[in-house]
This record gives sequence, C-alpha cells and structure tokens, in this order.
Amino acid sequence: MPKKIALGVLCAISLSANNTALEKRVELLEKKLQELQIQNTQAKYQTRSSSFSQNAYLPDIALILNMSSIARNIDNTQYENFAIPGFITTGSAQLPFNKNRGFNLNYAELALHSVVDPYFEAFAMLHIHPDHTAIGEGYVKTTSLPYGLGIKAGKFKSSFGRINAKHQHAWNFDEQPIIYKALFGPGSIGDMGISTQWVAPTDTYVMVGVELLQGSNKRSFGNTQKNNLTVAYLKTSLDITQNLSTLTGISFARGKNLFGGDTDIYNVELTMQQQFNSYSSLTWQSEALYRKRQNIATDAKQAGFYTQLVYKYNKNYATGIRYDGIVKNSVDDLQKYTVMAQYHPFPMSRLRLSYSYDKTKVIDGSRKNIHTVMLTLNIAAGAHGAHDY
Amino acid sequence: MKKLLLLLVTNLALFASMQIDTTYSTLGAIAKKVGGDFVKVTVLGSNKYDPHFIVPKPSLLAKLRRADLLIINGGGLEIGWLPPLLRNAHNPKINEGSLGFLDASQSLELIDKPTTVSRAFGDVHAEGNPHYITDPYTVPIIAEAIASRLAQIDPIHKFAYKQNLQNFKKEWSSFLTQFDAKMAQCSTKEVVQYHELFNYFLKRYNIENIGTIEPLPGIAPSSKHTLELIMLIKQNKVKKILQDVYHERKTAQFIAAKTGAKVVVIPHDLGAVGGKTLEDFYNNIASKICK
Ligand SMILES: [Zn+2]
Repeated sequence: MPKKIALGVLCAISLSANNTALEKRVELLEKKLQELQIQNTQAKYQTRSSSFSQNAYLPDIALILNMSSIARNIDNTQYENFAIPGFITTGSAQLPFNKNRGFNLNYAELALHSVVDPYFEAFAMLHIHPDHTAIGEGYVKTTSLPYGLGIKAGKFKSSFGRINAKHQHAWNFDEQPIIYKALFGPGSIGDMGISTQWVAPTDTYVMVGVELLQGSNKRSFGNTQKNNLTVAYLKTSLDITQNLSTLTGISFARGKNLFGGDTDIYNVELTMQQQFNSYSSLTWQSEALYRKRQNIATDAKQAGFYTQLVYKYNKNYATGIRYDGIVKNSVDDLQKYTVMAQYHPFPMSRLRLSYSYDKTKVIDGSRKNIHTVMLTLNIAAGAHGAHDY
Repeated sequence: MKKLLLLLVTNLALFASMQIDTTYSTLGAIAKKVGGDFVKVTVLGSNKYDPHFIVPKPSLLAKLRRADLLIINGGGLEIGWLPPLLRNAHNPKINEGSLGFLDASQSLELIDKPTTVSRAFGDVHAEGNPHYITDPYTVPIIAEAIASRLAQIDPIHKFAYKQNLQNFKKEWSSFLTQFDAKMAQCSTKEVVQYHELFNYFLKRYNIENIGTIEPLPGIAPSSKHTLELIMLIKQNKVKKILQDVYHERKTAQFIAAKTGAKVVVIPHDLGAVGGKTLEDFYNNIASKICK
C-alpha cells in the first residue's frame, strides 16, 4: 500500500510541476521501493536444520502394515506342504506371507533411516511377524567417498537382479516370482556382508557392484563356514525418448552349496517404462535366472523367468499381468499366471485385488492347479518413502 | 615442456565449466544468468510434469554423478523423488551440507506454514508452501544465493559471477518495474486454482485465492468438494480458474461450464506453457491471469 500512496503523491507533484528533475526522482524512488520489496521478500533468513529430514535429529521412521484376505481352492494344511518339483520339497516351503485362506496379518515393519555423521548413514528394517521378529536389514552406507564409490556393510538385500533388493510391499504383485521363490525362498538374497558400488562418470548411467556375502541362503548356497558368496552386477540405463526409459542389468552370484560344490546363478533383467503423464505409465519388467550347481545328480542346471506388464492409469488406479515360467528343470511345464488391480486412495495406502492360476505346485504327491483370489491392504505411515524407479 | 604443460593446465582450468544441476527449469534459467559462460546447466525435472512427482529415471543418476553444484527448490518439493537419487549417485560434492548443495528456499521465507501437520489433512507441505518461484521478486534473491555459492566453489571466476549478478539484477529490476506497472492494471481480483501453486504470485499482486480444485493437497477432486467450490465461485464472482499443465482438466472445465468462469492454463515452471526466458515465464502467468 505505501507504494501506491507514495506514487499518488509523487504523481500529483509531477503533474503540477511537470519537470524532468522530478521525473528522475520518481524513477529513483520506484527503484528504492523495488529494492525494499526484494528485501522484504528476503525477510528473515530461516535456519532450518535440513532440507530432507522430517524430524530434526530423530531418524526418519516409517511404519508399514501388510495384511490380506484370501480365497483358495486348497485347504490351508495342504497348501503349507506344497512342493515345487526340482526346487522345493514337501514341507520345506517357507510361507511368511499370505499363507492362509481367510485372514492374514503378514507383517508390521519399522523402517528407520538416519544420517549418522558427514560420512555415514544408517538404515534398519525391523520385520515384525505375528510369531517372530527379525532384522530384515540393518546396515551403514558411506556418503562421502570419492570417485563415485559407495560402500555398505551389515545385513542388506543384495542388488543382484531387479526385484531382489525390493521389499515385499514395494513389489507390483503380492507374491514373489516363482523363480525367485524356487531359487532363494521368500527372503531372496538378503545376507550379511559388504557391498561396493561404483557409478561411472559417463553421460549414460553405468553402475557396477561387487558384494561379499556370508552365503546363508540355504536353497542355493548355505555353506557358511566362511564368507562363501560373491555377487557381481552391471546395470545401465538408456532413455530412448524423454518419456521412454530403460534399465538393463546382468548379475552373477557364486557361492558354496550344502553339497560341497559351487552354485553359480546368472541373471539378466530388463525394465522399460513409458510415461504418459505425471501419473500414468506403462512398465514392462522381466528377469531370467539360470542356476548351475556342482555335486548334484539331478537338476544341476535349471532356469526360469517372469515377465510383467503394469499399467498405471492415474494416481489412484493401476493394473497388471504377470507370467511366470520354469523353462529348464526335470519337470519343465511349470507356469503361473497372475492379474491384479490396485487402488490407492492416498499415496500411503494401497488396496490390491489379484487372481492367480498356479500350475507349479505338487500337493499330496500329485500336481494340483491352484486358484487364489487375494485382497491385500498395505499401509505406509510416517516418513515419506520416496518413489523408486 | 614444463611451461607448456603449465600453460595447458591453467588454460584448462580457465575454460573448464562448472556442471550445475537444478531440479526445475526456472532455477536452471537463473543459474545460467549468473554462471554465464563458465557453467553448464542441466535441469533434472521436466517442466511438463508434476514437480512433486518427477520420475526418478536412472539416467538422472548419471547427471547427478558429475555435478559440481546441485540447486534444489527445497521446502519439501523434492522429497518424493530426489533423496534416493542423491543417495545412489555417489557424488559427495552435492550431498546435503556440502558446498555443492544449494537449497534455494533457505534464502526465502515460506508462507502458509501449517500449524498442525497430519496426513489426515492430505499430503501437506509441512515446511510451508514451496511454490515460491511464481513470485518474480524471488528471482534476484535466488540469483544472489547462486552467485555467492559459485564464487565459493569456483573462486577463479568469482568476479565474473559478481559482474553477471549485477548485470542481471539491473536487468531484472527494470523488468519488475514494467511488470508491476502491468499488474497494477490487472482487473482480476479473485481466482481458484488446482493446487496452491500460485499463492506467492497472488499474494504479491493482491489477488485472492478463493479455493482449490483438489479438496486436500495431493487428493483428487471429489464431487462434494467440487459442488462447494462452484458455490464459492458464484458467491465471489470468480472469473478465472488457474489450471496447471499436469493435472487433469475435466474438473476445471466442468466448473467453468457451471459458473461461467474461464479456465486458463498457467505455467508452474519456466517452459511449461511455451516461452524460453524468465521474462516469458512471468509475462505468461500475468497475461493469463489478467486478460
Ligand atoms: Zn505443492
């Protein structure tokens, strides 16, 4: 307001006098006013402690709850004892999620993240099941190493392949791809060890990583007399257009198995994502895995893959299909088909309805096709988990 | 030989350009003004997309990996996409707290800071409204912050940056004089908008924001809320509905049809609706709101 009054007064003066000296003064005063306005905007310099952290010095904390309601054409006791020929024997399947017809509380998870000091940050994922509690992940990661290097140490999910490092609630389908379940079990490769990653200083994203791990995953490795598992991978990304991005990778794992030999696992992954607008996209994601084991008579060489297509319609709705197949195995006609539709009333909550037709299981000694209809609810409360690619 | 090498090295140092990454395009244009020939500017987030939800493409990691300076909008605007990228780019130069990390919001005072923060009120901006860039008066302040940071990171060219800043401030001050004069003629006094993207501009030029199309921040429109908004628009005789480029337009068009108010598509960032320069950006906002 004072600007208007000042201008009014000055205008009146300049009208009556109408000489150039006064006009100059008007100009000068306007300049001065503008500067004052800028200073006004500048106002108090706020001293906020941090741009990203949400609680000054407390760790960022998120609570994740995952539950489901299931209809299935198999009794719970029969389902618990399923086998997958060549991979999982009767009774040895671990089923931490979505086990029972009826209702399941899958887990409550506490995710913690904190910057420790200028050189380290720490993460922990405390996994609370109805009947046990586990440290899903707990590791420190460097933040200040030169030359594009990053090292983490502790227990963490390996960056082997595409889906391995992602937590169950971040998957696009509630059930693990069959090939992952068959080769690693529900926890995938999550192990104690050290990881070193290097991002190349190039226009194109190229990342290579090497992980030295204990090898405690019994399905493929399991000999933990010393750290017996080594994982290595290379990932690269190309943007074909502004809106079409890709991520490709090859991974390799070599560890000691329980039969005294080596297990080698190879993985190729490809993700392509077409973005239609801020909230809508079509993503095609596939992975193929090949396992070779020493000191094993049958099924020494096995392979399988999954391929999935997910369409995000808008902020609230998404739908997807997935095909799972085992292609190299003593029994190789093992497939699974899944469709899902999900609704996010809000970014923090998700309801997902899915149907799967599973032809990979043996129940009570004979192949049995399983139909499952599942409704899951996932809640992530607290600190914002940023969206991953 | 040694002399030749020395010459080569100093020459390289003189012509080496600072790699600046900015999260959004208006920040990029300001950085270019201040940095001039000594900087290369890369904008990470597309101006066609919702600034809260930039797709964290892995290709952005390669851009962050080689940056000497990262300039962010701050105020929580990047919290949904930048932190994991920053973590995985492995570039200590641009970590939060480093010289190469500049949060532009720290030089400004944010408005609309909520007194209570709960997600029951939607995806609110806990630190206040971060969409300050629509106010042209923030431009010279940000330019100043960038210039002083560049002088610290690249002291060889500090006089050039100072000179660029002075020239730009002069240029901008005469632009603001014209701009204010134009805005003084603006007959629009009330508007509604989709998300509170233009509050700083509206506040600067005494235009009242009557309501938003989204019922709560980040929540899609509901029919109940839309009907209430239509009532408000009629009561207040609102003539303009400010639509951004990235939200759906059906709701705004529906409201327009019911009320006679006009939908105008306004850029939330430089280049979102045509225009190449900072002046274009603000002129575009002004002409769409006022005409
Ligand atoms: Zn916002």
